[in-house]
Amino acid sequence: MNDKPILSVRNLTMHYYTRKGDVSAVDDVSFDLARGQSLGLVGESGCGKTSVAFSLLRLLPENAQLLAGNVYLDGCDVLALDEKEVRKIRWRGISMVFQAAMNALDPVYRVGDQIIEALQTHFRGLGEAEARDRVIELFPMVGLDPSLMERYPHEFSGGMRQRAVIAMALSCDPRVIIADEPTTALDVIVQDRILNELRAIQRKMGMSMIYITHDIAVIAEVSDRIGVMYAGRMAELASAVDIFENPFHPYTHALMNAFPSIEGEKQELKALPGEPPDLLSPPSGCRFHPRCSRRIESCNRLQPPFEDMGDDHFVACWNPREVGNG
Amino acid sequence: MGNYILRRLFQIIITLVIFQTLLFLILDAQPGDITLQYLTDPRVTPEIRDQMRIALGLNKPPIERYLQWLRNFITGNLGISFSHYPRPVLDIILERAPRTIVLFLTSTLVSFFVGFVLGKQLAWRRGGGFEYSMTMVGVVLYTIFTPWFGLMLIYLLGLRLGWLPVGKFLDPILWRDVPVDANYVFARLGFTGLILSLLIAVLWLSSTRLSPVKRRSLRLIGVLMIVGISLGGWALSEVGYLAADMLEHMILPVTVATLVSFAGTMLMMRNTMLETLKEDFVMATRAKGLSEAEVRDKHAARNAFLPVFTNLIISIPFVLSGGIITETIFSWPGMGLTLLQAVQNEDVPLAMGAMTCVGIFALFAHLFADVTYAFLDPRIRYQ
Amino acid sequence: MVEITKTQFSELTEPMWRIRSRLIWRSFIENWKLFMEYPIGMIGLGIIIIFGLMALAHPILMKYVWEPRVYDPVIGYDISILAHPSPPSSTHLLGTDPLGRDVLSQLLYGTRFGFSLGISAALVSVIVSTTVGALSAYYGGIVDVLFMRLADVVIMLPFIAILIVLSALIEFNGFSLAIVYGLLVGFGGQTIVIKSQALSIKVKPYIEAARAAGGSDWHIIFTHLIPNLMPLSFLYMMFTVTGAVFAEAALSFFGLLNIRMSWGIMINTAQAAGYLLAGPEYLHLMLPAGLAITLLCSSFYMVGRALDEVVNPRLRQR
Repeated sequence: MNDKPILSVRNLTMHYYTRKGDVSAVDDVSFDLARGQSLGLVGESGCGKTSVAFSLLRLLPENAQLLAGNVYLDGCDVLALDEKEVRKIRWRGISMVFQAAMNALDPVYRVGDQIIEALQTHFRGLGEAEARDRVIELFPMVGLDPSLMERYPHEFSGGMRQRAVIAMALSCDPRVIIADEPTTALDVIVQDRILNELRAIQRKMGMSMIYITHDIAVIAEVSDRIGVMYAGRMAELASAVDIFENPFHPYTHALMNAFPSIEGEKQELKALPGEPPDLLSPPSGCRFHPRCSRRIESCNRLQPPFEDMGDDHFVACWNPREVGNG
Repeated sequence: MGNYILRRLFQIIITLVIFQTLLFLILDAQPGDITLQYLTDPRVTPEIRDQMRIALGLNKPPIERYLQWLRNFITGNLGISFSHYPRPVLDIILERAPRTIVLFLTSTLVSFFVGFVLGKQLAWRRGGGFEYSMTMVGVVLYTIFTPWFGLMLIYLLGLRLGWLPVGKFLDPILWRDVPVDANYVFARLGFTGLILSLLIAVLWLSSTRLSPVKRRSLRLIGVLMIVGISLGGWALSEVGYLAADMLEHMILPVTVATLVSFAGTMLMMRNTMLETLKEDFVMATRAKGLSEAEVRDKHAARNAFLPVFTNLIISIPFVLSGGIITETIFSWPGMGLTLLQAVQNEDVPLAMGAMTCVGIFALFAHLFADVTYAFLDPRIRYQ
Repeated sequence: MVEITKTQFSELTEPMWRIRSRLIWRSFIENWKLFMEYPIGMIGLGIIIIFGLMALAHPILMKYVWEPRVYDPVIGYDISILAHPSPPSSTHLLGTDPLGRDVLSQLLYGTRFGFSLGISAALVSVIVSTTVGALSAYYGGIVDVLFMRLADVVIMLPFIAILIVLSALIEFNGFSLAIVYGLLVGFGGQTIVIKSQALSIKVKPYIEAARAAGGSDWHIIFTHLIPNLMPLSFLYMMFTVTGAVFAEAALSFFGLLNIRMSWGIMINTAQAAGYLLAGPEYLHLMLPAGLAITLLCSSFYMVGRALDEVVNPRLRQR
């Protein structure tokens, strides 16, 4: 068994150049993804989690620029590859289930054909018949009837399209799958079902997965490890249990408290004051300090380093919470 | 699909009836009637003119005349032309219509193709000198005054340089002692073109399911073979040189008609392509690892193409209009020139007949485009 | 509960109209800045301004500088020159036409004519298409069906052909041509586009709010729907001008119109007298008119395209 992480991100930094200025979307983000592990990336809208995902696949728009960092997929730095080689990595090394995946399907081609297209792109000698067989195998795995592959996307319901897109993402046996808010656009019941199925597939196939969402409740169900992002930086990274029971970063703690729990006595929901910062001109020092209840002097001068506090529990904070404290 | 076609045909019939009614109203609204042209002829007394009126049925009430007009129209009796007396209008139209069809079809297809390719490139390479200069050239050509442009080209290429023939669609000297009729050669040419396109279309469609490499080579070989065989067939036939003469005469009119209209498609294609590129599935396709060319052509352009095609449908009448002007400049004896001359000569039956024909063209071109659109966009088929 | 008293509303410091006009001005400036980013639009606008100056120059020149008997575009004649048409000279900067009239004067007069024709046609088309489109969208039902079927019939037929046939019936002069052209365009394709835009506006929340506040149908259509359709209508005005000028020139060239002087008539005169393809020394008869038609049409079209980028925000470059 290989112990090295399948994906290793180090100091990833990326900016968007817009008419209004330079947006610091991802700043010095680092994390590891072990084989067969599910990592959840959670944070408010605009915190950079989707940008991280796109950086991993090198799918950034024209006005974005990777300024620093490495992304090691099984030892190979994705960011250093040229365009042709990146295309080989896409889908085969890392694949993605997009946010609002319903729109990820081309409306003028049959669903099955689009998956076959992905297969034929990455497995050069694959014949038509073999490709079709693979799709026939894939569909039941995501709960779809194989005959549906002859249909067009607009003939599918929302939930079905989501499943089809998941099937497409699985088709080339990727080493890492990124799921970017795959269930946000669905109703709660379908959401629940798909989540469970996704988790089951991941466990069964021993795939490594990065699950991106802003919904804490969802991430609890799906992830082994959780990374909390804020304003383009990684605030905290630890096992799911640790994040919930013992959050070090004040932001993580506030996130946990913002969700009601079924157990225990009734408590008042504590909302976090203020708003996420404008990434055109982020606050000096720690980006969370304007809203932080544990703010100290150095917080507005220097960025806290992202450090291991022990037990693979990373935090970037000058004044982290102690075990058991409030 | 069959339902769709039937529905559209039904709509066309209704539109045609409305159209004919309007034409009748226009015809009827003109003061006086045919017999007026004999006013100055001293041998035709007022009594004779009255008799003529009765004989022609002009004294009957408008409703009766209207119904007679419709009846005539349905049976294909479009009257007898004044300026080409005594040839029946239908005869003249049937002789000239194919020439317009050929000119119109060719220029539409070429202009659409050019506009499609250029528009696709414009959208893909947003900004910069290429977009700017191409747009300027396209706009100027689109709005250029066609008669002037055509005449300039005739002057330059025809008179000054002598490269291309100056007008009409054949060289009378070449054809003087030839046993065949011009229309015969022309019909053969048109027929060849039709078969060619059909064969190529069949080839294209039947090869979509193959793997990329096999597909490309099959298509290439197939097209070369089809074109080669038809060229060979024509070269060997006795009328080959006559056909070549006709084709030579076609070059300039088709070029002018194309240049003047391609920018419409080009700019529209650019716009829709830009909108399509923002769609999620474009990014998804790139994420799947497809090359930029595949993303652009197989997916983005294929989708952007649909609204452009709708625009083509809407712009068919404009291409037909432009065709009328082009025909006049080049003395290309088709429907447009016929219509204009008929109006200029006050040849009422011919003018109305030509107008009807133009209207029918437009309607059927519309229908054809609509059906093709339904074929291309799977979402429409189930409405 | 906070009580809302009347005095809070009467405390507005400025009259409503002034606030409104300031908002309109501000949005105009915003859009203008956007428009300025497209060189194609600026070039078009520049050309239009040059033509505008030309049009303005003509009456001034006729009144103060030129001798009317010689330089009138329609009835002038220069007796001092023997053979007409004559090439450009110091007295006639663009030469004279086969009937002895000064070409430059004709060109300038044609500019006036072109503008008035184009803009009248455009106004007619905009009034028709906006009203019809808004009513169709708002009321739906039989009104909608009627207008849309009419539009279908109109757009299926080529303009030039219709105009040619109509010219046999009506002796078109500039004014009637402008109206007929405007009507054709207004009831045709434009109204379909405007109607779909109106439909998308109709479902916006502020329309519902207006209705809930008690606004009558008329009020909603004229105060909310139509002003929001204005940008699109204005855009189409540009294309109508192009089409109208082009149509007039073509029809004049074919000799089907009853117009005293226009660019199309200039070319027609040259053609009728057989000088059109006669050689380079007669270029001054055809070139200025043809060029002028092309440039005016192009410039309006260019402005239209640039406006399209402004009005259609989905196309804006970042």
